[in-house]
Amino acid sequence: MDTELDRISSLPGHVLDQILSVLPIRDAVRTSNLSRKWRYKWSHIPHLVFDTQCISITSEDQTIVKNKLVNIIDHVLLLHNGPIYKFKLSHRDLLGVSDIDRWILHLSRGSTKEFVLEIWKGQRYKLPSCLYSFENLIHLELFNCLLKPPLAFKGFRNLKSLDLQHVTLAQEVFENLISSCALLERLTLMNFDGFTHLKINAPNLQFFDVGGIFDDVSFENTFLLTLVSIGLYVNGINDRNVSRGSSSKMLRFFVNLPHIRRLEIQSYFIKYLAIGKIPSRLPKSCMDLNYISIRINFNDFEENSVAFCLLKSCPNLQEIEMLGRPEEQAAVGPLAGFWGDDHWKCLFGQLRLVKIAGISGIGSELDCIKFLLSNSPVLEQMTVKPASSEGGLELVKELLRFRRASIQAEVIYLEP
Amino acid sequence: MSEVDMAVVKPEAFVDDIIQLMRNCLKGSNPVAIVCQMMRSYIWIQTTDGAVQQVEQEVAMFCPMICQEVIQKGRGSSKNHAISLPQGVGPSMFSLILDYCRFHQVPGRSNKEHKSFDEKFVRMDTKRLCELTSAADSLQLKPLVDLTSRALARIIEGKTPEEIREIFHLPDDLTEEEKLEPLKNTNDDPRIRLLNRLYAKKRKELKEREKLKDVEGREEHVDDRSVDDLLSFINGDSKGMKTSKNRKKHQKRKDQQKCAPMYKKDSNAFSSLCHNAKVGHELQSSLSETLKLQDVTDMIFAPTVGFEDVDEIDPALKEEIDREVEDFARILNSDWPERMQELLSLGQGKRPAQLSINGNGTLKRFGMTVVSVTLYVIVWMERTRSWATMNSAVWIPAQTTSGWNNFDQMLMQVAYGKQKDCILIDVNSHLSDLWRAL
Repeated sequence: MDTELDRISSLPGHVLDQILSVLPIRDAVRTSNLSRKWRYKWSHIPHLVFDTQCISITSEDQTIVKNKLVNIIDHVLLLHNGPIYKFKLSHRDLLGVSDIDRWILHLSRGSTKEFVLEIWKGQRYKLPSCLYSFENLIHLELFNCLLKPPLAFKGFRNLKSLDLQHVTLAQEVFENLISSCALLERLTLMNFDGFTHLKINAPNLQFFDVGGIFDDVSFENTFLLTLVSIGLYVNGINDRNVSRGSSSKMLRFFVNLPHIRRLEIQSYFIKYLAIGKIPSRLPKSCMDLNYISIRINFNDFEENSVAFCLLKSCPNLQEIEMLGRPEEQAAVGPLAGFWGDDHWKCLFGQLRLVKIAGISGIGSELDCIKFLLSNSPVLEQMTVKPASSEGGLELVKELLRFRRASIQAEVIYLEP
Repeated sequence: MSEVDMAVVKPEAFVDDIIQLMRNCLKGSNPVAIVCQMMRSYIWIQTTDGAVQQVEQEVAMFCPMICQEVIQKGRGSSKNHAISLPQGVGPSMFSLILDYCRFHQVPGRSNKEHKSFDEKFVRMDTKRLCELTSAADSLQLKPLVDLTSRALARIIEGKTPEEIREIFHLPDDLTEEEKLEPLKNTNDDPRIRLLNRLYAKKRKELKEREKLKDVEGREEHVDDRSVDDLLSFINGDSKGMKTSKNRKKHQKRKDQQKCAPMYKKDSNAFSSLCHNAKVGHELQSSLSETLKLQDVTDMIFAPTVGFEDVDEIDPALKEEIDREVEDFARILNSDWPERMQELLSLGQGKRPAQLSINGNGTLKRFGMTVVSVTLYVIVWMERTRSWATMNSAVWIPAQTTSGWNNFDQMLMQVAYGKQKDCILIDVNSHLSDLWRAL
């Protein structure tokens, strides 16, 4: 048997980089022990990921763990040679240490393109000003951080994706950030404070996902926005004065979303849309909208109006999901006769799939189902899932009776 | 339509042939059916063994490199103009790649099907996996490169260096220069436990040697502790340690105290502690001939640098490293710079020479001596078979190579115990233990 050849070391550099990048950082650095050729191969890996799985430190004492972690990251950074394309730091035991500042400074001298920082515990970590000088940043993801850029900050010119969760930043800072990142395509915001008006001025934005507490949403220049998912985590807008006599939020919301394709209205956002005048239909139909998901209280008149208006304005819907809020619905009496009127007819020419969940089989819910069934000639499947099993049989009995416009339609009852 | 009217077109037919055929058929009044399947075009490819084969067009065009050849250079249309595969793509690898392409180019398959095919596809021995990676890369078939890279990464993940070397047949040529992420010593027991754990393997050996060790003839200025104490310390009984003279001659510089990787050959007696803050800085310990006293404070520094393999490190880097080494020496302590210079210049004179460590670790070829800054150290005087404290850099000829193994560990344990803030790492086969323990 001839001598075995070492084939792996002679693979081209970028392939080895790829292999090493996929490994957890620990294993990647350990390859420096393999043989002479492998000593510094790891130092060129473009991705550095320090997370809880990568570095397993078993110790009870918090300080020890922290010190070890700081040490390891220090060393890896020092020994690393070459551009760092992606840097991720997300270790459970790293509490807002000032060492992070130092590492960010080190990275700012290079050309990092993706930066992910997740501070698991403790208060918001104030990001150092050198973070704002990452010229080549394409993706920024922050968790539990405080952003306070210097006055001269002109935005991240190349930023395409921004993910901010549990962050604090001031209103102007937020607006500035969004509007100055001209290439921004994806924006995710979750649980933020410091600002309450979501003014989104982003010409290249395609994906927008927000969940938090805010007063107002306005889009400007967002003609490419195709996916919007909004959740308002507070029940009812605080300031009733705002709602009374204010312009129709619904109209304002949709006026700058001409090409929206997927819309998810989560939590209590529908209440926001109910503020002001609710038109019977939108002035301009959302021709591209093919998926809609609405979290709705079927017993609330305004919410139903909003949903109805929306459905009427989207003739090309292919999939509808309507989720009830069972905890609320019990409080108010059932709303009957809303959806069932004969002249409320509209055609869902492309509707193929409907999912209804969280209902209890009362008045307006059934009307809504009836409405959808009788107006969707190409419906293939409708699944109905009640919130609880009581009244299940009644619900099924009603479902059986409903007329269906589509002969292909399957109505499937799912166990709660 | 009768059979007669069906034009049978041979696979090798060229387009003009087909057109001619069609013209002929159309002259007649009968309808013509040209079976599509036979019109499938093929691309001619020559594998590295010289054989020429035909590959279905859609399969071959899945590879960007072949695609490029066909479109930009117009090759592959005939036997004489076959596309020759790059060197890295052997015939067996090529047929594997074709299998891959054949599956993946079919549209309409679900992600799940693709995934399960991929999973089964990469189940092969590592040798073939490496070859396949190389071949896929030559053909610029990125999805396959990604797949094989991930498979290789999965093989490497979680294994010790020995296992990895075993699997990939890597030469174990790093004995002197194994490098470890420096560990900063902190004043806590887990560290001591950690080090003790490292030497767990050799404890038995130590115990045996303990019996052989001669504890008589200790010099007066020997350290307070007896060998027994030391050994018992090593064996996990830290209570046996008497208080150390915690002399800190050097200012502790927190920022730069990243400790020293050490090098140790398995059969060799010596580990040197050196400070290393940059990649490429390989510090080499001296070998059996020369015993270097180790500085056991946190500012361990072995100024002389030797490189085993000059090929890998270019001279500019070496020079830079030397300079760093000197710089660092200066930083260490203001008392020492001249000393350091002196020591450095002892060894310096020429560029760090290649150090070759042969079997018994002789350093005869080595023109310069490896020097370490020693502040306070306990030395095992082999000559007198006793412990002694030394305050300066001293060279003590080693007696036997095998004996130093234990000394080494003892030294480190001792030093570690004595100087709480010292940084010690023994880099040898324990490296993997240490790293694992991190």
